[in-house]
Amino acid sequence: MMNEIRFEKVKKSYGKVEVVKSLDFSIRDGERLILLGPSGCGKSTTLRMIAGLESITEGRLYMGGREVNDVPSGQRDVAMVFQNYALYPHMTVKQNITYALRTQKMTKDEIEKRLKDALQMLGLEKLENRLPKDLSGGQRQRVALARAVVKQSPYFLLDEPLSNLDAQLRGTARKELVRIHEKFKQTMVYVTHDQIEAMTIGDRIALLNNGILQMLDTPENVYHRPANIFTATFIGSPAMNVHDVRFIDGQLQIDEQFFGIGNEWSLLLKNYRNKQVKFGVRPEHIHLSTEMSEGRICGVVNTIENLGAQYAVYVQIGSKEWIALSPHRGFSKGQRVYLEFDYNNYHFFDPETTNTVGYPSTLNLNSKIPLKVEV
Amino acid sequence: MKINKRWEIPWHIIFFIFILVLLYPIFYALGFSLKSLQDAYNSPLSIIPKNITFENFNQLFTSLPALKITWNTFVIASVVTIFKIITSFLAAYAFVYFIFKGKNVIYFFLISTIFLPFTITMIPNYLIISSLGLADSVWGVILPQLADAMGIFLLTQAMRSIPVSLIEVARLDNMEHWRIMKDIVLPLVRPAVTSTSIWFFIMAWNEYVWPVLILKTVDNYTLPLALQMYISSEGGTNFTVAMAVSVITMIIPLTLYLTFQKYIIGTFVSSGIK
Amino acid sequence: MTTTILSIKNKEGRIQKIAPYALLLPSLIVLGFFMFWPFLYTIYLSFFDWNMVSTTKEFVGFENYIDVLKDPVTWKVMGNTMLYIVLLLAVNFVVPYIFAYVVEFVLQRMKGFYKSAFFLPAFISLVVGSILFTWILNPVSGPVAIIAGWFNITIPIWSKLDGWVIVVITLITSWKIWGYHFILLFASISGISKEVIEAARLDNIPLWRIFFRIVVPMSSSTGIYVFIITIVQGLQFAFTPIKVITQGGPNYASSNVIYQAFHEAFVLYRTGHSAALSTITMIIFIFLLIVEFKFVERRIYYENK
Repeated sequence: MMNEIRFEKVKKSYGKVEVVKSLDFSIRDGERLILLGPSGCGKSTTLRMIAGLESITEGRLYMGGREVNDVPSGQRDVAMVFQNYALYPHMTVKQNITYALRTQKMTKDEIEKRLKDALQMLGLEKLENRLPKDLSGGQRQRVALARAVVKQSPYFLLDEPLSNLDAQLRGTARKELVRIHEKFKQTMVYVTHDQIEAMTIGDRIALLNNGILQMLDTPENVYHRPANIFTATFIGSPAMNVHDVRFIDGQLQIDEQFFGIGNEWSLLLKNYRNKQVKFGVRPEHIHLSTEMSEGRICGVVNTIENLGAQYAVYVQIGSKEWIALSPHRGFSKGQRVYLEFDYNNYHFFDPETTNTVGYPSTLNLNSKIPLKVEV
Repeated sequence: MKINKRWEIPWHIIFFIFILVLLYPIFYALGFSLKSLQDAYNSPLSIIPKNITFENFNQLFTSLPALKITWNTFVIASVVTIFKIITSFLAAYAFVYFIFKGKNVIYFFLISTIFLPFTITMIPNYLIISSLGLADSVWGVILPQLADAMGIFLLTQAMRSIPVSLIEVARLDNMEHWRIMKDIVLPLVRPAVTSTSIWFFIMAWNEYVWPVLILKTVDNYTLPLALQMYISSEGGTNFTVAMAVSVITMIIPLTLYLTFQKYIIGTFVSSGIK
Repeated sequence: MTTTILSIKNKEGRIQKIAPYALLLPSLIVLGFFMFWPFLYTIYLSFFDWNMVSTTKEFVGFENYIDVLKDPVTWKVMGNTMLYIVLLLAVNFVVPYIFAYVVEFVLQRMKGFYKSAFFLPAFISLVVGSILFTWILNPVSGPVAIIAGWFNITIPIWSKLDGWVIVVITLITSWKIWGYHFILLFASISGISKEVIEAARLDNIPLWRIFFRIVVPMSSSTGIYVFIITIVQGLQFAFTPIKVITQGGPNYASSNVIYQAFHEAFVLYRTGHSAALSTITMIIFIFLLIVEFKFVERRIYYENK
């Protein structure tokens, strides 16, 4: 409760364009919350509303229990790291880090102590007299972090802080971020469009699309129990297969083929008897084989993509294409293959609302998320 | 990039001739100001004096209160520059970092003053300055020139090129506006401020139209007015002295320009008149 | 607790609301007193008969405008002004446009030198320019006349001849303002992406066609700006050489609308006529300003930045 951030029916529009449409959720004290979504989904705007850099068109925003709609950003006690780092180009590393402290009547000793701690924590000791233009991208990013850390604000906001780093640096930077947060336990809000960052850093993920919150939950649940089709297909790479199927007599009809889905799933789908339903399954939960057997359906290989560790196999079934991951190459174009869907990892969505139909309570959540390499 | 080479040489030749024409008067003035009148009449084509003489400058300082006139010019140019740069800086900061009612309308009206012919304001301004008892005084020259739309425009353009996030960081740190101006914006637009100041200074130094309306006594003159005394369509007889006044009038602007030309050209190039 | 938050909120909010106006105030006061109010007052004066000294002004309605428009001198001056505009545009719009293009895209070397040298006269007093050129172009003893004499060419006594006097005064004015226009156009042209020009070169399109088909359209907003300031500021800059060299003579042959307004007010003391002429001039300028804002602020063509 102490440093909780709460959105109450918050809207943001620029003229007639609604960027954020009624946000209603809370960010818990001390958690790492990821605002995730495609570009233009309103995630940066949401972060900037917390920082007080954007006004709130409608609704209320609470920070630490008090309404902050009209509290200017300088009085919200937030530290922020910008995508372009926003380092003052005419100040040295040391001046950049201590500038805000020096203007706040803090004692010299205290400033020195915080500076030393921050420099040490981020490995910047020898760079304190350099100007930003003389630093590498990774160093600049760490200076920006150090500048945010020394403020010791209860709220720590980050706007795509790693997007300007190359892939190798990003991995270490992610760990560093988590380490810093573990130390200070601020309420951290982190904007990104990168799902790997979201999964590895986040305690919880808030997924936004078109200014609407799609799902807010742990990385495990977002991955394994997506609340709707958008979440299901946005998270995971290659994206989840979601296709129209028909549910008839405990069996799913895909194209002209049928396979049984068992009692637990059938019970869940009782309202969809003889109706269309959206069936989803992740590529890594489809097993390919060359032999027909019970519960498998048949398709023809369209293309094969080499992803490095695995192969993405595109299989045509009727008018739809499905993607499956296979650890070995043993398939060729035009070949007839048989697909088996992993029983524990079915997903069903309502065709109208696109929301999930639910999951049988007996299923165990597979806590291991297979993260795919970036393509 | 590679473009047909055969066009290069002719253009260089054209440009050299062109620059010769542009700069010839300057060298002409420098050379003839150091010639004796005799020498000037005997060899009207040679820019280089036979014997360098400072007689013309000497004569100038005895026949005119030249020091006083130079000092007047300097005071006017300095005061005008300081005020213009401050008023322009503050206005530009307001236009770039605030959202407020009437912003676009005010900006439009301020900038449109660049297009007003001075004749539309000269009579009332003359009356205002006279009624304030400032006619024929240095302050009468200064007063109407304390703000400048061109400066607002140039500094607005310069400030717009600073990433907004730098200002946002400062706002998050609860920095007051005066501190943001002093510690962040000013250092980052210093080249533009420098070159705009120099531009203002030189414009005020060279200003002729307004001083000629209100300055009457030689003691209050500025250099361009003093220079005007030496001219008539046939050319007076004191023409080497006139060259000396010309040299004094242009020496400071030229020095400033040649010293700061990189900044100045940079500011005008990057302001990117819309 | 709520009250402190509220007071913070109100105080900070009030500062945020007032601050921009406070920052604009110095500029607004100065420009208001010495630009906007005089501007309105001049329009007011254009409806009165007055000599700047007398204590009474007589309201005459549109009579000043009728007088001015009936006066053959006005029409002579208008004709002169048109000639000034045409000549100013040729020298200060067409030439710098071509030169800026050549410096940016045709030449490889000495760009910096040309920029500096072209811009230099803009920093010298136009009174200095006027006096120097009066000497240099002196039809009897000036260096140009002497050299021309070798080839049996006589320099006309330009300051006494209709037409010639305008040509020479335009050249003197251009000497001062040319460089600034060059820099503006150069800035705009150098902002055009090199790839576009390179692509055109690869297609073997001649340079002059690149200039008209690519460079001019892509720098058109600056082009229009320079076109307009050539007229608006050029006519005002010409005031200085007119005042210094000819005082509008001979027989108004070198006067333009700007000089004439000055002449009416401060030589003939007919403030009403002067104000009417200034107002007419300004209406023409405002028309140009509207053109500027219509085309330039909305951008006919999107430049790089």
